[in-house]
Amino acid sequence: MEKRSILHMLDPMPNNSPFDVNMALDAGFDVLIPYSNVKLDGVHGLTQDAIFSRGPNGVKRTGLFIGGRDIGLAIDMLSAAEQAMVPPFEISVFADPSGAFTTAAALVGCVEKELKTKHNLDLKDAKALVFGGTGPVGIATGVIASLEGADTVLVDHLSAETANDLAKEYNRRFKSNLKGACASSYEQKVELIADADIIFCTAKAGIQVISSKILSHAKALKVAGDVNAVPPTGIEGIKLNDFGKPMEYAPNASGVGALAVGNVKYQLQHLLLASMLTTDKPLFLDFRNAFAKAREIL
Amino acid sequence: MEKPFILHMLTTAKNLSPFDVNMALDAGWVSAIPYINVEPSEVRGLVQDAIFSRSPKSLKKTGIFIGGRDTKQALDMLKTAKNSMVPPFEVSVFADPSGAFTTAAGMVAAVENELQKNFNTTLEGKNVLALGGTGPVGQAAAVIAAQAGANVRIVGRQLEKAQRIADLCSNEFGEGAIQIMAGADADKAEFMKTADIVFATGAAGIELLSAELIASAPQLKVAADVNAVPPSGIAGLDAFHNGTPLPGSKSGAVGIGALAIGNVKYQAQNKLLKIMLDAEKPVYLHFTHAFEVARDFIKTKA
Repeated sequence: MEKRSILHMLDPMPNNSPFDVNMALDAGFDVLIPYSNVKLDGVHGLTQDAIFSRGPNGVKRTGLFIGGRDIGLAIDMLSAAEQAMVPPFEISVFADPSGAFTTAAALVGCVEKELKTKHNLDLKDAKALVFGGTGPVGIATGVIASLEGADTVLVDHLSAETANDLAKEYNRRFKSNLKGACASSYEQKVELIADADIIFCTAKAGIQVISSKILSHAKALKVAGDVNAVPPTGIEGIKLNDFGKPMEYAPNASGVGALAVGNVKYQLQHLLLASMLTTDKPLFLDFRNAFAKAREIL
Repeated sequence: MEKPFILHMLTTAKNLSPFDVNMALDAGWVSAIPYINVEPSEVRGLVQDAIFSRSPKSLKKTGIFIGGRDTKQALDMLKTAKNSMVPPFEVSVFADPSGAFTTAAGMVAAVENELQKNFNTTLEGKNVLALGGTGPVGQAAAVIAAQAGANVRIVGRQLEKAQRIADLCSNEFGEGAIQIMAGADADKAEFMKTADIVFATGAAGIELLSAELIASAPQLKVAADVNAVPPSGIAGLDAFHNGTPLPGSKSGAVGIGALAIGNVKYQAQNKLLKIMLDAEKPVYLHFTHAFEVARDFIKTKA
Protein backbone atom coordinates (compact mmCIF):
# COMPACT_ATOMS: atom_id res chain seq x y z
CA MET A 1 0.00 0.00 0.00
CA GLU A 2 1.28 3.44 -0.82
CA LYS A 3 1.81 5.42 2.34
CA ARG A 4 -0.68 8.18 2.90
CA SER A 5 0.67 11.70 2.58
CA ILE A 6 0.96 13.53 5.87
CA LEU A 7 1.27 17.26 6.47
CA HIS A 8 2.45 18.25 9.94
CA MET A 9 1.12 21.76 10.50
CA LEU A 10 3.23 23.69 13.01
CA ASP A 11 1.81 26.87 14.44
CA PRO A 12 3.13 29.17 17.17
CA MET A 13 -0.48 30.21 17.80
CA PRO A 14 -3.03 28.26 19.87
CA ASN A 15 -4.69 27.00 16.68
CA ASN A 16 -4.05 26.51 12.98
CA SER A 17 -5.91 28.57 10.44
CA PRO A 18 -8.91 26.71 9.00
CA PHE A 19 -8.07 28.46 5.73
CA ASP A 20 -4.74 26.63 5.51
CA VAL A 21 -6.35 23.37 6.62
CA ASN A 22 -8.81 23.47 3.73
CA MET A 23 -6.05 24.47 1.31
CA ALA A 24 -3.75 21.63 2.38
CA LEU A 25 -6.41 18.94 2.16
CA ASP A 26 -7.64 20.28 -1.17
CA ALA A 27 -4.07 20.20 -2.51
CA GLY A 28 -4.06 16.46 -1.92
CA PHE A 29 -2.59 15.78 1.51
CA ASP A 30 -4.35 12.74 2.96
CA VAL A 31 -3.78 13.44 6.63
CA LEU A 32 -3.30 16.71 8.41
CA ILE A 33 -2.00 16.95 11.93
CA PRO A 34 -2.02 20.22 13.86
CA TYR A 35 0.71 21.15 16.33
CA SER A 36 -0.20 24.29 18.25
CA ASN A 37 1.73 26.66 20.51
CA VAL A 38 4.99 25.51 18.87
CA LYS A 39 8.05 27.48 19.91
CA LEU A 40 11.09 28.09 17.74
CA ASP A 41 13.26 25.85 19.89
CA GLY A 42 10.74 23.02 19.47
CA VAL A 43 11.02 22.95 15.68
CA HIS A 44 14.27 20.96 15.52
CA GLY A 45 12.86 18.10 17.60
CA LEU A 46 9.50 18.02 15.83
CA THR A 47 11.19 18.00 12.42
CA GLN A 48 13.52 15.14 13.31
CA ASP A 49 10.66 13.21 14.82
CA ALA A 50 8.82 13.62 11.54
CA ILE A 51 11.65 12.49 9.27
CA PHE A 52 12.89 9.41 11.10
CA SER A 53 9.75 7.28 11.20
CA ARG A 54 8.95 6.75 7.50
CA GLY A 55 12.11 5.78 5.61
CA PRO A 56 13.53 7.81 2.70
CA ASN A 57 10.59 6.87 0.48
CA GLY A 58 7.98 7.65 3.08
CA VAL A 59 9.44 11.08 3.71
CA LYS A 60 8.50 12.05 0.15
CA ARG A 61 4.93 11.65 1.32
CA THR A 62 5.57 13.85 4.37
CA GLY A 63 5.60 17.62 4.66
CA LEU A 64 5.80 20.42 7.18
CA PHE A 65 3.74 23.59 7.09
CA ILE A 66 4.56 26.63 9.22
CA GLY A 67 1.80 29.10 10.04
CA GLY A 68 1.35 31.76 12.71
CA ARG A 69 1.15 35.52 12.53
CA ASP A 70 4.77 36.59 12.77
CA ILE A 71 6.67 36.40 9.49
CA GLY A 72 10.11 36.76 11.09
CA LEU A 73 9.38 33.86 13.42
CA ALA A 74 8.02 31.79 10.52
CA ILE A 75 11.22 32.34 8.55
CA ASP A 76 13.28 31.36 11.61
CA MET A 77 11.17 28.23 12.03
CA LEU A 78 11.58 27.40 8.35
CA SER A 79 15.35 27.62 8.59
CA ALA A 80 15.39 25.67 11.86
CA ALA A 81 13.42 22.91 10.11
CA GLU A 82 15.75 22.96 7.13
CA GLN A 83 18.79 22.65 9.40
CA ALA A 84 17.22 19.73 11.22
CA MET A 85 17.11 17.56 8.09
CA VAL A 86 19.46 14.56 7.92
CA PRO A 87 19.68 13.57 4.22
CA PRO A 88 18.31 11.30 2.88
CA PHE A 89 15.85 11.81 5.69
CA GLU A 90 14.47 15.14 4.60
CA ILE A 91 11.06 16.59 3.83
CA SER A 92 9.61 19.69 2.22
CA VAL A 93 8.72 22.67 4.36
CA PHE A 94 6.41 25.56 3.45
CA ALA A 95 6.05 28.71 5.53
CA ASP A 96 3.03 30.93 4.92
CA PRO A 97 2.17 32.71 8.18
CA SER A 98 -1.36 34.19 8.00
CA GLY A 99 -1.16 33.46 4.28
CA ALA A 100 1.01 36.58 4.16
CA PHE A 101 3.67 35.17 1.87
CA THR A 102 1.30 33.99 -0.82
CA THR A 103 -0.87 37.12 -0.50
CA ALA A 104 2.14 39.43 -0.79
CA ALA A 105 3.57 37.43 -3.69
CA ALA A 106 0.25 37.61 -5.51
CA LEU A 107 -0.06 41.35 -4.87
CA VAL A 108 3.42 42.24 -6.07
CA GLY A 109 3.11 39.82 -8.99
CA CYS A 110 -0.14 41.40 -10.20
CA VAL A 111 1.19 44.94 -9.79
CA GLU A 112 4.45 44.08 -11.56
CA LYS A 113 2.50 42.67 -14.49
CA GLU A 114 0.45 45.86 -14.85
CA LEU A 115 3.54 48.02 -14.52
CA LYS A 116 5.21 46.16 -17.33
CA THR A 117 2.31 45.77 -19.73
CA LYS A 118 0.71 49.21 -19.27
CA HIS A 119 3.72 51.37 -18.50
CA ASN A 120 6.67 49.33 -19.74
CA LEU A 121 8.35 49.84 -16.38
CA ASP A 122 10.20 47.40 -14.11
CA LEU A 123 9.97 47.30 -10.34
CA LYS A 124 13.62 48.34 -10.10
CA ASP A 125 12.76 51.67 -11.72
CA ALA A 126 9.77 52.38 -9.52
CA LYS A 127 9.05 53.98 -6.19
CA ALA A 128 6.60 51.99 -4.09
CA LEU A 129 4.64 52.79 -0.94
CA VAL A 130 3.22 50.04 1.24
CA PHE A 131 0.32 51.36 3.33
CA GLY A 132 -0.45 49.09 6.26
CA GLY A 133 3.20 48.26 5.75
CA THR A 134 3.92 47.06 9.28
CA GLY A 135 1.55 44.06 9.27
CA PRO A 136 2.53 40.59 8.02
CA VAL A 137 1.27 41.06 4.45
CA GLY A 138 2.70 44.59 4.28
CA ILE A 139 6.17 43.58 5.40
CA ALA A 140 6.29 40.62 3.02
CA THR A 141 5.03 42.86 0.19
CA GLY A 142 7.71 45.43 0.98
CA VAL A 143 10.50 42.87 1.15
CA ILE A 144 9.53 41.28 -2.18
CA ALA A 145 9.27 44.66 -3.93
CA SER A 146 12.53 45.87 -2.42
CA LEU A 147 14.40 42.71 -3.38
CA GLU A 148 13.20 43.31 -6.94
CA GLY A 149 14.86 46.72 -6.79
CA ALA A 150 11.90 49.00 -6.13
CA ASP A 151 12.55 52.00 -3.90
CA THR A 152 10.15 50.80 -1.22
CA VAL A 153 8.74 52.51 1.87
CA LEU A 154 6.83 50.71 4.63
CA VAL A 155 4.18 53.14 5.85
CA ASP A 156 2.71 52.84 9.34
CA HIS A 157 -0.42 54.78 10.25
CA LEU A 158 0.77 55.64 13.76
CA SER A 159 4.51 55.66 14.16
CA ALA A 160 7.54 56.33 11.98
CA GLU A 161 9.65 54.60 14.59
CA THR A 162 7.73 51.33 14.21
CA ALA A 163 8.06 51.52 10.44
CA ASN A 164 11.79 52.35 10.59
CA ASP A 165 12.53 49.62 13.12
CA LEU A 166 10.75 46.99 11.05
CA ALA A 167 12.42 48.20 7.86
CA LYS A 168 15.81 47.86 9.53
CA GLU A 169 15.01 44.47 11.00
CA TYR A 170 13.87 43.00 7.71
CA ASN A 171 16.67 44.65 5.72
CA ARG A 172 19.12 42.90 7.99
CA ARG A 173 17.31 39.61 7.61
CA PHE A 174 16.77 39.59 3.84
CA LYS A 175 19.31 42.17 2.57
CA SER A 176 16.48 44.32 1.30
CA ASN A 177 16.50 48.11 1.16
CA LEU A 178 13.31 49.12 2.89
CA LYS A 179 12.64 52.54 4.36
CA GLY A 180 10.04 53.47 6.92
CA ALA A 181 7.56 56.34 7.14
CA CYS A 182 4.49 57.41 9.04
CA ALA A 183 1.28 58.69 7.47
CA SER A 184 -1.45 59.35 9.96
CA SER A 185 -2.81 62.60 8.48
CA TYR A 186 -4.16 63.65 5.13
CA GLU A 187 -1.17 65.99 4.64
CA GLN A 188 1.35 63.25 5.34
CA LYS A 189 -0.32 60.91 2.86
CA VAL A 190 -0.42 63.62 0.17
CA GLU A 191 3.26 64.37 0.66
CA LEU A 192 4.32 60.73 0.50
CA ILE A 193 2.17 59.91 -2.48
CA ALA A 194 3.34 62.77 -4.73
CA ASP A 195 6.14 60.88 -6.47
CA ALA A 196 5.04 57.27 -5.92
CA ASP A 197 4.78 55.00 -8.96
CA ILE A 198 3.15 52.20 -7.01
CA ILE A 199 0.78 52.04 -4.04
CA PHE A 200 0.29 48.77 -2.23
CA CYS A 201 -2.50 48.81 0.30
CA THR A 202 -2.28 46.04 2.90
CA ALA A 203 -4.00 47.82 5.76
CA LYS A 204 -6.70 46.37 8.00
CA ALA A 205 -9.91 45.19 6.37
CA GLY A 206 -12.73 47.70 6.13
CA ILE A 207 -10.59 50.83 6.42
CA GLN A 208 -10.19 53.30 3.57
CA VAL A 209 -6.60 54.52 3.63
CA ILE A 210 -6.41 56.39 0.33
CA SER A 211 -9.37 58.57 -0.63
CA SER A 212 -10.16 60.03 -4.03
CA LYS A 213 -8.96 63.40 -2.76
CA ILE A 214 -5.56 62.00 -1.83
CA LEU A 215 -5.36 60.20 -5.18
CA SER A 216 -5.71 63.54 -7.01
CA HIS A 217 -2.20 64.33 -5.71
CA ALA A 218 -0.69 61.09 -6.99
CA LYS A 219 0.79 62.61 -10.14
CA ALA A 220 3.28 59.81 -10.80
CA LEU A 221 1.03 56.87 -9.89
CA LYS A 222 1.05 54.00 -12.37
CA VAL A 223 -0.36 50.99 -10.52
CA ALA A 224 -2.18 50.53 -7.22
CA GLY A 225 -3.10 47.21 -5.60
CA ASP A 226 -5.39 46.59 -2.63
CA VAL A 227 -5.86 43.40 -0.58
CA ASN A 228 -8.80 44.59 1.49
CA ALA A 229 -12.00 42.88 0.35
CA VAL A 230 -14.25 44.27 3.07
CA PRO A 231 -15.97 47.55 2.15
CA PRO A 232 -14.89 50.27 2.19
CA THR A 233 -11.84 49.04 0.29
CA GLY A 234 -8.41 50.49 1.10
CA ILE A 235 -8.06 52.61 -2.03
CA GLU A 236 -11.16 54.48 -3.16
CA GLY A 237 -12.40 53.54 -6.59
CA ILE A 238 -10.68 50.18 -7.02
CA LYS A 239 -13.29 47.46 -7.41
CA LEU A 240 -12.75 43.99 -5.95
CA ASN A 241 -12.38 42.29 -9.34
CA ASP A 242 -10.40 45.02 -11.09
CA PHE A 243 -7.23 43.79 -12.72
CA GLY A 244 -5.65 46.61 -14.69
CA LYS A 245 -8.68 48.84 -15.10
CA PRO A 246 -7.96 52.59 -15.19
CA MET A 247 -8.53 53.88 -11.67
CA GLU A 248 -11.67 55.94 -11.19
CA TYR A 249 -9.85 58.74 -9.35
CA ALA A 250 -6.44 58.38 -11.02
CA PRO A 251 -7.25 57.58 -14.65
CA ASN A 252 -3.60 57.36 -15.72
CA ALA A 253 -3.00 54.53 -13.30
CA SER A 254 -4.37 50.99 -13.26
CA GLY A 255 -5.88 49.29 -10.26
CA VAL A 256 -5.76 45.74 -8.95
CA GLY A 257 -8.54 44.75 -6.54
CA ALA A 258 -8.61 42.34 -3.62
CA LEU A 259 -10.41 39.48 -5.36
CA ALA A 260 -8.03 39.62 -8.32
CA VAL A 261 -5.13 39.36 -5.86
CA GLY A 262 -6.97 36.72 -3.83
CA ASN A 263 -7.50 34.58 -6.88
CA VAL A 264 -3.77 34.52 -7.62
CA LYS A 265 -2.96 33.97 -3.92
CA TYR A 266 -5.26 30.96 -3.86
CA GLN A 267 -3.57 29.45 -6.89
CA LEU A 268 -0.11 30.09 -5.45
CA GLN A 269 -0.86 28.45 -2.13
CA HIS A 270 -2.50 25.52 -3.89
CA LEU A 271 0.39 25.02 -6.32
CA LEU A 272 3.06 25.31 -3.64
CA LEU A 273 1.28 22.81 -1.40
CA ALA A 274 0.77 20.45 -4.34
CA SER A 275 4.44 20.80 -5.35
CA MET A 276 5.43 19.38 -1.95
CA LEU A 277 3.67 16.16 -2.92
CA THR A 278 5.25 15.76 -6.34
CA THR A 279 8.81 16.90 -5.76
CA ASP A 280 11.74 14.48 -5.78
CA LYS A 281 14.00 16.77 -3.80
CA PRO A 282 12.76 18.48 -0.65
CA LEU A 283 11.54 22.04 -1.10
CA PHE A 284 11.87 24.88 1.40
CA LEU A 285 9.27 27.41 0.43
CA ASP A 286 8.80 31.00 1.54
CA PHE A 287 7.71 34.29 -0.05
CA ARG A 288 10.53 34.13 -2.60
CA ASN A 289 9.23 30.86 -4.03
CA ALA A 290 5.71 32.21 -3.87
CA PHE A 291 6.76 35.26 -5.89
CA ALA A 292 8.63 33.15 -8.46
CA LYS A 293 5.50 31.04 -8.86
CA ALA A 294 3.37 34.17 -9.16
CA ARG A 295 5.50 35.38 -12.07
CA GLU A 296 5.21 31.97 -13.67
CA ILE A 297 1.41 31.82 -13.61
CA LEU A 298 0.91 35.50 -14.49
CA MET B 1 -9.90 15.37 -7.88
CA GLU B 2 -12.83 15.05 -5.47
CA LYS B 3 -12.52 17.45 -2.56
CA PRO B 4 -12.47 15.68 0.81
CA PHE B 5 -15.06 16.20 3.55
CA ILE B 6 -13.49 18.40 6.24
CA LEU B 7 -14.98 18.92 9.69
CA HIS B 8 -13.42 21.76 11.71
CA MET B 9 -14.00 20.79 15.35
CA LEU B 10 -14.00 23.70 17.81
CA THR B 11 -13.89 23.29 21.57
CA THR B 12 -13.45 25.70 24.46
CA ALA B 13 -11.84 22.84 26.40
CA LYS B 14 -8.20 21.88 26.12
CA ASN B 15 -8.98 18.78 24.10
CA LEU B 16 -11.71 17.49 21.86
CA SER B 17 -13.71 14.55 23.07
CA PRO B 18 -12.38 11.39 21.35
CA PHE B 19 -16.01 10.24 21.35
CA ASP B 20 -16.94 13.06 18.98
CA VAL B 21 -13.85 12.50 16.83
CA ASN B 22 -14.75 8.81 16.31
CA MET B 23 -18.36 9.73 15.61
CA ALA B 24 -17.40 12.35 13.02
CA LEU B 25 -15.00 10.10 11.13
CA ASP B 26 -17.43 7.15 11.26
CA ALA B 27 -20.22 9.34 9.87
CA GLY B 28 -18.12 9.90 6.76
CA TRP B 29 -16.06 13.02 7.43
CA VAL B 30 -12.63 12.36 5.93
CA SER B 31 -10.72 14.82 8.08
CA ALA B 32 -11.59 15.98 11.58
CA ILE B 33 -9.34 18.86 12.56
CA PRO B 34 -9.22 20.04 16.19
CA TYR B 35 -9.19 23.68 17.34
CA ILE B 36 -8.77 23.76 21.11
CA ASN B 37 -9.07 26.35 23.88
CA VAL B 38 -11.20 28.38 21.49
CA GLU B 39 -12.53 31.60 22.97
CA PRO B 40 -16.08 32.47 21.90
CA SER B 41 -14.63 35.73 20.52
CA GLU B 42 -12.45 33.73 18.13
CA VAL B 43 -15.34 31.89 16.49
CA ARG B 44 -16.04 34.55 13.89
CA GLY B 45 -12.44 34.62 12.66
CA LEU B 46 -12.15 30.85 12.53
CA VAL B 47 -15.43 30.47 10.68
CA GLN B 48 -14.54 33.10 8.10
CA ASP B 49 -11.13 31.54 7.59
CA ALA B 50 -12.87 28.24 6.96
CA ILE B 51 -15.41 29.55 4.45
CA PHE B 52 -13.15 31.69 2.27
CA SER B 53 -10.70 29.05 1.06
CA ARG B 54 -13.18 26.79 -0.70
CA SER B 55 -15.69 27.38 -3.46
CA PRO B 56 -19.38 27.41 -2.53
CA LYS B 57 -19.57 23.95 -4.08
CA SER B 58 -16.75 22.54 -1.94
CA LEU B 59 -18.15 24.27 1.11
CA LYS B 60 -20.93 21.69 0.98
CA LYS B 61 -18.16 19.29 1.95
CA THR B 62 -17.04 21.49 4.84
CA GLY B 63 -18.55 21.65 8.31
CA ILE B 64 -18.02 23.00 11.80
CA PHE B 65 -18.63 21.11 15.04
CA ILE B 66 -18.87 22.90 18.38
CA GLY B 67 -18.02 20.92 21.51
CA GLY B 68 -16.99 22.15 24.93
CA ARG B 69 -18.82 21.71 28.20
CA ASP B 70 -21.08 24.68 28.59
CA THR B 71 -24.53 24.66 27.04
CA LYS B 72 -25.02 28.41 26.83
CA GLN B 73 -21.54 29.00 25.49
CA ALA B 74 -22.00 26.35 22.80
CA LEU B 75 -25.35 27.80 21.71
CA ASP B 76 -23.84 31.30 21.64
CA MET B 77 -20.95 30.01 19.54
CA LEU B 78 -23.43 28.32 17.19
CA LYS B 79 -25.25 31.63 16.81
CA THR B 80 -22.01 33.53 16.20
CA ALA B 81 -20.92 30.95 13.64
CA LYS B 82 -24.23 31.25 11.80
CA ASN B 83 -23.99 35.05 11.80
CA SER B 84 -20.43 34.91 10.44
CA MET B 85 -21.45 33.25 7.19
CA VAL B 86 -21.22 35.31 4.01
CA PRO B 87 -23.59 33.59 1.53
CA PRO B 88 -22.86 31.81 -0.74
CA PHE B 89 -19.81 31.21 1.44
CA GLU B 90 -21.48 29.27 4.22
CA VAL B 91 -21.21 25.88 5.92
CA SER B 92 -23.25 23.72 8.28
CA VAL B 93 -22.61 23.91 12.02
CA PHE B 94 -23.55 21.38 14.72
CA ALA B 95 -23.29 22.10 18.45
CA ASP B 96 -23.24 19.19 20.88
CA PRO B 97 -21.31 20.23 24.01
CA SER B 98 -20.22 17.16 26.01
CA GLY B 99 -22.58 15.20 23.76
CA ALA B 100 -25.26 16.64 26.01
CA PHE B 101 -27.70 17.62 23.28
CA THR B 102 -27.78 14.19 21.66
CA THR B 103 -27.76 12.41 25.05
CA ALA B 104 -30.70 14.49 26.26
CA ALA B 105 -32.50 13.95 22.97
CA GLY B 106 -31.93 10.19 23.19
CA MET B 107 -33.26 10.09 26.74
CA VAL B 108 -36.39 12.14 26.10
CA ALA B 109 -37.19 10.24 22.90
CA ALA B 110 -36.80 6.91 24.73
CA VAL B 111 -39.03 8.14 27.57
CA GLU B 112 -41.66 9.32 25.12
CA ASN B 113 -41.60 5.93 23.46
CA GLU B 114 -42.15 4.09 26.77
CA LEU B 115 -44.99 6.44 27.68
CA GLN B 116 -46.70 5.60 24.42
CA LYS B 117 -46.05 1.87 24.66
CA ASN B 118 -46.96 1.31 28.31
CA PHE B 119 -49.36 4.10 29.12
CA ASN B 120 -50.72 5.08 25.70
CA THR B 121 -49.97 8.73 26.36
CA THR B 122 -47.55 11.54 25.44
CA LEU B 123 -45.31 14.05 27.18
CA GLU B 124 -48.05 16.67 26.93
CA GLY B 125 -49.06 17.84 30.41
CA LYS B 126 -46.85 15.33 32.26
CA ASN B 127 -44.93 16.34 35.37
CA VAL B 128 -41.22 15.80 34.81
CA LEU B 129 -38.55 15.97 37.51
CA ALA B 130 -35.04 16.51 36.19
CA LEU B 131 -32.97 15.30 39.14
CA GLY B 132 -29.38 16.49 39.14
CA GLY B 133 -30.77 18.59 36.34
CA THR B 134 -28.46 21.59 36.50
CA GLY B 135 -25.79 20.06 34.24
CA PRO B 136 -25.66 20.16 30.43
CA VAL B 137 -27.70 16.97 29.87
CA GLY B 138 -30.32 17.97 32.43
CA GLN B 139 -30.68 21.41 30.92
CA ALA B 140 -31.14 20.17 27.36
CA ALA B 141 -33.52 17.37 28.47
CA ALA B 142 -35.61 19.86 30.44
CA VAL B 143 -35.94 22.16 27.45
CA ILE B 144 -36.77 19.36 25.02
CA ALA B 145 -39.43 17.91 27.34
CA ALA B 146 -40.92 21.34 28.04
CA GLN B 147 -41.07 22.07 24.32
CA ALA B 148 -42.97 18.79 23.94
CA GLY B 149 -45.56 20.09 26.42
CA ALA B 150 -44.38 18.65 29.73
CA ASN B 151 -44.31 20.56 33.04
CA VAL B 152 -40.64 20.34 33.93
CA ARG B 153 -38.94 21.00 37.24
CA ILE B 154 -35.14 21.10 37.49
CA VAL B 155 -34.10 19.81 40.91
CA GLY B 156 -30.68 20.49 42.37
CA ARG B 157 -28.92 20.57 45.72
CA GLN B 158 -29.20 24.34 45.93
CA LEU B 159 -32.53 25.90 45.06
CA GLU B 160 -30.88 29.14 44.02
CA LYS B 161 -28.70 27.49 41.41
CA ALA B 162 -31.59 25.32 40.17
CA GLN B 163 -33.69 28.46 39.78
CA ARG B 164 -30.95 30.23 37.85
CA ILE B 165 -30.58 27.26 35.48
CA ALA B 166 -34.36 26.91 35.09
CA ASP B 167 -34.62 30.57 34.12
CA LEU B 168 -31.75 30.19 31.65
CA CYS B 169 -33.50 27.18 30.10
CA SER B 170 -36.86 28.96 29.86
CA ASN B 171 -35.63 32.31 28.60
CA GLU B 172 -32.50 31.57 26.58
CA PHE B 173 -32.75 28.02 25.30
CA GLY B 174 -36.54 27.95 25.12
CA GLU B 175 -36.64 31.57 23.91
CA GLY B 176 -39.28 32.45 26.49
CA ALA B 177 -41.86 30.07 25.03
CA ILE B 178 -41.55 27.55 27.88
CA GLN B 179 -41.66 27.86 31.65
CA ILE B 180 -39.36 25.50 33.55
CA MET B 181 -39.62 25.38 37.36
CA ALA B 182 -36.95 24.79 39.95
CA GLY B 183 -36.82 22.77 43.14
CA ALA B 184 -34.43 21.73 45.90
CA ASP B 185 -33.34 18.15 46.59
CA ALA B 186 -34.73 18.51 50.09
CA ASP B 187 -38.25 18.71 48.71
CA LYS B 188 -37.93 15.66 46.45
CA ALA B 189 -40.43 13.58 48.47
CA GLU B 190 -43.07 16.24 47.96
CA PHE B 191 -42.39 16.48 44.21
CA MET B 192 -42.57 12.69 43.81
CA LYS B 193 -46.24 12.73 44.85
CA THR B 194 -47.15 14.25 41.48
CA ALA B 195 -44.26 13.15 39.27
CA ASP B 196 -45.04 11.21 36.09
CA ILE B 197 -41.48 11.09 34.80
CA VAL B 198 -38.01 11.27 36.36
CA PHE B 199 -34.80 12.08 34.52
CA ALA B 200 -31.64 11.32 36.49
CA THR B 201 -28.81 13.34 35.01
CA GLY B 202 -26.55 13.88 38.00
CA ALA B 203 -22.90 13.05 38.44
CA ALA B 204 -21.93 9.38 38.12
CA GLY B 205 -22.14 7.31 41.30
CA ILE B 206 -24.74 9.38 43.15
CA GLU B 207 -28.18 7.88 43.90
CA LEU B 208 -30.73 10.60 43.16
CA LEU B 209 -33.88 8.54 43.59
CA SER B 210 -34.10 6.00 46.42
CA ALA B 211 -36.21 2.82 46.53
CA GLU B 212 -38.28 4.49 49.22
CA LEU B 213 -39.11 7.45 46.99
CA ILE B 214 -39.97 5.14 44.09
CA ALA B 215 -42.37 3.23 46.29
CA SER B 216 -43.98 6.45 47.46
CA ALA B 217 -44.71 7.78 43.97
CA PRO B 218 -48.38 7.26 43.11
CA GLN B 219 -48.27 8.19 39.41
CA LEU B 220 -44.69 7.56 38.30
CA LYS B 221 -44.65 6.16 34.76
CA VAL B 222 -41.12 6.30 33.38
CA ALA B 223 -37.74 6.79 35.05
CA ALA B 224 -34.59 7.30 32.97
CA ASP B 225 -30.98 7.39 34.10
CA VAL B 226 -28.00 8.48 32.00
CA ASN B 227 -25.43 7.24 34.47
CA ALA B 228 -23.74 4.02 33.33
CA VAL B 229 -21.45 3.73 36.34
CA PRO B 230 -22.82 1.82 39.38
CA PRO B 231 -24.41 2.70 41.69
CA SER B 232 -27.07 3.98 39.31
CA GLY B 233 -28.84 7.28 39.82
CA ILE B 234 -32.16 5.51 40.34
CA ALA B 235 -32.41 2.64 42.83
CA GLY B 236 -32.95 -0.74 41.18
CA LEU B 237 -32.45 0.57 37.65
CA ASP B 238 -29.45 -0.75 35.78
CA ALA B 239 -27.73 0.38 32.61
CA PHE B 240 -29.28 -2.43 30.53
CA HIS B 241 -32.90 -1.65 31.42
CA ASN B 242 -34.96 -0.67 28.43
CA GLY B 243 -38.61 -0.36 29.31
CA THR B 244 -38.08 -2.81 32.14
CA PRO B 245 -40.51 -2.66 35.13
CA LEU B 246 -38.91 -0.49 37.81
CA PRO B 247 -38.40 -2.60 40.96
CA GLY B 248 -40.63 -1.43 43.80
CA SER B 249 -42.83 0.89 41.77
CA LYS B 250 -46.47 0.67 42.86
CA SER B 251 -47.67 2.65 39.84
CA GLY B 252 -46.20 0.23 37.28
CA ALA B 253 -43.37 2.53 36.19
CA VAL B 254 -40.74 1.34 33.73
CA GLY B 255 -37.06 2.16 33.71
CA ILE B 256 -34.64 3.16 30.94
CA GLY B 257 -30.92 2.74 31.58
CA ALA B 258 -27.81 4.41 30.24
CA LEU B 259 -27.08 1.87 27.51
CA ALA B 260 -30.55 2.11 25.98
CA ILE B 261 -30.29 5.90 26.03
CA GLY B 262 -26.72 5.71 24.72
CA ASN B 263 -27.87 3.72 21.72
CA VAL B 264 -30.42 6.36 20.70
CA LYS B 265 -27.88 9.11 21.42
CA TYR B 266 -25.36 7.39 19.18
CA GLN B 267 -27.88 7.12 16.36
CA ALA B 268 -28.93 10.75 16.74
CA GLN B 269 -25.38 12.09 16.69
CA ASN B 270 -24.48 9.88 13.73
CA LYS B 271 -27.57 11.04 11.85
CA LEU B 272 -26.91 14.75 12.45
CA LEU B 273 -23.29 14.42 11.36
CA LYS B 274 -24.56 12.72 8.19
CA ILE B 275 -27.22 15.39 7.59
CA MET B 276 -24.36 17.92 7.50
CA LEU B 277 -22.59 15.84 4.85
CA ASP B 278 -25.62 15.67 2.60
CA ALA B 279 -27.21 19.07 3.15
CA GLU B 280 -27.70 21.16 0.02
CA LYS B 281 -28.31 24.27 2.13
CA PRO B 282 -26.31 24.81 5.32
CA VAL B 283 -27.96 23.55 8.52
CA TYR B 284 -27.43 24.79 12.09
CA LEU B 285 -28.04 21.92 14.47
CA HIS B 286 -28.63 21.72 18.22
CA PHE B 287 -30.82 19.88 20.73
CA THR B 288 -34.08 20.49 18.86
CA HIS B 289 -32.73 18.76 15.75
CA ALA B 290 -31.21 16.03 17.89
CA PHE B 291 -34.65 15.31 19.35
CA GLU B 292 -36.24 15.16 15.88
CA VAL B 293 -33.78 12.57 14.62
CA ALA B 294 -33.90 10.59 17.88
CA ARG B 295 -37.70 10.37 17.55
CA ASP B 296 -37.36 9.31 13.91
CA PHE B 297 -34.90 6.61 14.84
CA ILE B 298 -37.20 5.17 17.50
CA LYS B 299 -40.15 5.26 15.11
CA THR B 300 -38.32 3.39 12.36
CA LYS B 301 -37.10 0.82 14.88
CA ALA B 302 -40.62 0.18 16.18
